Amino acid sequence: MQHNFNTKPPPNYVAGLGRGATGFTTRSDIGPARMLPGSELGAASAAGPARAPPAGQPADKPQDLSETKFDHFNGYEERLFGDTPYEEDDKLADEVWQAVDAQLDKRRKARREAREQEELKKFRATRPKLQHQFADLKRDLETVSYAEWEALPEPGAHIKGAQAAKRSERFTKAPDSLLDRAKREIEGASVVQDDGAGAGAGAGGGSTDTPLADLKSLGQARNSVLEVKLDLAGDSVTGQTVVDPKGYLTGMASVKVSSEAEIGDIKKARLLLDSVRQTNPSHAPAWIASARLEEVAGRLSKAIELMKQACAACPGAEDVWLESARLHSKDGAKLVLAEAVRAVPQSVKVWLHAASLEDDGRLRRLVLRKALEVLPNSVKLWQAAIDLETPQDAKLMLARAVECVPHAVDMWLALARLETYDNARKALNRALTAVPTEPLIWIAAIKLEEANGHGEQCDALVGRMMKWLDQHEAAPERELWLSEAEAAERAGAPLTCDAILRAALPIGIDPEDRRRIWMEDAETFVTKGAHECARATFAACLAAYPTKRSVWERAAQHEKAHGSREALAALLRRAVGYCPHAEGLWLMAAAERREAGDVAGARGVLTDAFRANGSSEAVWLAGVQLEFDEGEHERARALLARARERAGTERIWARSVAVERSLGDLHAAHELAVGGIATHPRCAELHVARAAVELKRSAVGEARATYARAVKACADAPSVWIGAAALEAADGALGKARSLLESARLRMPAEPRLWLEAVRLERRAGNAQAASALMAKALQSCPTAGTLWAEAIAMEPRQTQKAKSSDALKRCDNDPHVILAVSRLFWRDRKLDKARVWCNRAAALDPLLGDAWANFYAFELEHGTAAQQADVLARAVSAAPQHGEHWKRMADDPASCSMPLAELVKRVAEAMRLS
Amino acid sequence: MSYLLPHLNSGWAVDQAILSEEDRVVVIRFGHDYDPVCMRMDETLHSIAELVKNYAVIYLVDITQVPDFNSMYELYDPCTVMFFFRNKHIMIDLGTGNNNKINWALTDKQEMIDIIETVFRGARKGRGLVVSPKDYSTKYRY
Repeated sequence: MQHNFNTKPPPNYVAGLGRGATGFTTRSDIGPARMLPGSELGAASAAGPARAPPAGQPADKPQDLSETKFDHFNGYEERLFGDTPYEEDDKLADEVWQAVDAQLDKRRKARREAREQEELKKFRATRPKLQHQFADLKRDLETVSYAEWEALPEPGAHIKGAQAAKRSERFTKAPDSLLDRAKREIEGASVVQDDGAGAGAGAGGGSTDTPLADLKSLGQARNSVLEVKLDLAGDSVTGQTVVDPKGYLTGMASVKVSSEAEIGDIKKARLLLDSVRQTNPSHAPAWIASARLEEVAGRLSKAIELMKQACAACPGAEDVWLESARLHSKDGAKLVLAEAVRAVPQSVKVWLHAASLEDDGRLRRLVLRKALEVLPNSVKLWQAAIDLETPQDAKLMLARAVECVPHAVDMWLALARLETYDNARKALNRALTAVPTEPLIWIAAIKLEEANGHGEQCDALVGRMMKWLDQHEAAPERELWLSEAEAAERAGAPLTCDAILRAALPIGIDPEDRRRIWMEDAETFVTKGAHECARATFAACLAAYPTKRSVWERAAQHEKAHGSREALAALLRRAVGYCPHAEGLWLMAAAERREAGDVAGARGVLTDAFRANGSSEAVWLAGVQLEFDEGEHERARALLARARERAGTERIWARSVAVERSLGDLHAAHELAVGGIATHPRCAELHVARAAVELKRSAVGEARATYARAVKACADAPSVWIGAAALEAADGALGKARSLLESARLRMPAEPRLWLEAVRLERRAGNAQAASALMAKALQSCPTAGTLWAEAIAMEPRQTQKAKSSDALKRCDNDPHVILAVSRLFWRDRKLDKARVWCNRAAALDPLLGDAWANFYAFELEHGTAAQQADVLARAVSAAPQHGEHWKRMADDPASCSMPLAELVKRVAEAMRLS
Repeated sequence: MSYLLPHLNSGWAVDQAILSEEDRVVVIRFGHDYDPVCMRMDETLHSIAELVKNYAVIYLVDITQVPDFNSMYELYDPCTVMFFFRNKHIMIDLGTGNNNKINWALTDKQEMIDIIETVFRGARKGRGLVVSPKDYSTKYRY
């Protein structure tokens, strides 16, 4: 077998070394035969190009391979083999890697470029280039004229004081080349300008050979320095020429370069206005404009002079006089206005201005009286004059004023306000003859009557007003009446308000949408806080629709919220009279009585209610609750017996059982439960109650039998299944409980309570694994069940609870149970502000959820002030919560079911404390 | 007769030849084809190559063309024959004092065969040093 070994060796191959061969030394006289590693490498490095040491680092510096230079992803910052020579194989390897990189790069090129583009756009959106930021402003630059551009202030012109001095007072030595050039220039100049050079020579005492001694040469040198500087400024690299080198030297004379353009404008304007004035000297605005221009230009005296001419030229224009007065000082202005009132005595403005210039009230009054002599018909002057008077004088003035300006309603009303009752009546009557179309006068009259104890006349007066206004064809819009009624309520005239509304509400409304519009009006009044108006609107509505239950309920609600107790009672009495079949109204009436502490009254109301609707379970139950709460157990029992007879609904039976249970009469409770089941075999509640009674009597077998019957009779009620499973679990038969819950789930796969019970069963049994698996399944089948999510959060280990809660919030954002669980997380983490907000949110989302309130109260007990605790408790009581897991357990407990609500909240809060 | 024997033209080829042989002795003659001593040696090697092919393979290396091993194996003689087995240099006690190589021209074919066979047998047993069947010390020559 013949091999061909004469292939090309890999680059930098060291013969023998690759094979691991070692040599030998037999003849040391010839030299070392054994190959030393260093020698071969040295030879190789001499052959290959040596790696250049990194810039700024000496080649012999030892590498820093400490931990600080180590990164888990990139390895060492330093190149581990940086000091070895860069050889052929290194190059090959680098080429291979570069090829790989290039390949990868090519593969993702389009995507990466798109992404980079995207990122750049995003970056630009957040941090735009300076160029883009001012793009819109730059566009405006094209409208900037050359003059405006020139007028831009110099950079650094705003620097003041010592800094500016420091900036300008900077001396630098002139270079020799300049001085040399200056010398040469002066030689040239002396040739051309004989007299100049001669003068310089004379001053220098004839010593022209040294240029430094020559004053003229110094001046010349300074000139050329300035020129050089200007050249630099003119040809600045950025292309923004800051200084116009040609204009700079010549423009030095003018001190304020920036105002030059303005001056030009002012000159032009002055010319224009001059021509206007000359062509039309009686044109007042031209004079005023001229004066204003001079004022802006800073020549006040010229402006005053102009105005003086103007007053002479057009004395009939009040604006000229006022402008003139404005330009003068206070005393001067008084003189001007004295002239003015002579020239234009009919001008109200001039008179008022003159009055306002007087500081003294007496003088001002004097001026105004004089004005009124000339102008007795000016309402403004009268108002200004009356404002200055005392009430007594004002009355006199008003009496005179209404004669002079009889159409001024305000004057009449003011007069009526100030006068005594009789005089006011008279005044208003006169006002009506003067201004017959003004409803305000009528309303003022009606208010006056009400205020003086003639409230009974309001309706008649309103009727007369309506007729009167109709006759004069001045009946205002309905909205105006409503707002007037509101104003009347504000002004403390409820009877007027009522009367107006009674008359005005039916105006211009179709009978069909009358009720709707009236209810809307009432709501608007309620939102505006005009409760008397709302009450009147409700009353009107009720008068029109006495049999509408919804109107009665809304009116009662409003009365309860904003009215007195008596008014509410009266309203409810009338309500039940009109709608005897409205249980809600009866119950409200009874509750109202009870709250007032009138138990007998409440009882009476309920008796009436029984009489009116004998088979209403709500009324029966309310009666039972009343008796039960009052401790009249026998009466409650009797009532329940009667209720069972007459109404006999499921709830009444269940309530009967519950009452007996809470009274401790288990035997009776059982009897009742059995009886109830006989009449309502499909009522789950009764079955559960019966089983509970049996359990209490420790008759487990009976309870089991009850549940067995119950799951057959009412297989669609989760409570029955849950109760049955709980019974089995308590008995230790976990498997049975599990199978019960499973078969229940088969019937109702989307019932979160069943899932929850199953999960809890596993947890109680200590099967955390099974519980979490079951929970996962539960969340899949009911992903929006807040109770399940809350339990899931509670089940998680502490580290992952946060993640779970965010999951839960994503799935069911506004579920009070989830919010409650999250609030407890915050509470546990002592994020008190957040916890308070979330507690509040949970309670606000579902005010009937007792757990949320109890949790909130428990939280405040631990971290809140006494005021906060009391507030939460009051809110909880007013919300009257009904459900919730802990709440229900506590509320159904016979030991605590007769407690007042506040006590119950406290008890539940005790149970919900963060242990 | 050197042209009839395979030549190895680089250090790489030499290493490959030594490494690629699994169970035969690799006999390498280092020297120059034009050298008279080598010529005689090559004559012997060529004539036995066919006879020992079952347990040995013979290569020629020009030490001017391939100077890589000159210092490692002290190739300063006109002709040097060395033995390798499974990438291991097998030494042979020839009685000359240099056990590493044969550095003269061996003209007796049978002696050469015997030496190669001895090397093969010893190397197969794991020996690094075998004893030549004939003593080539100078005391017998003179």
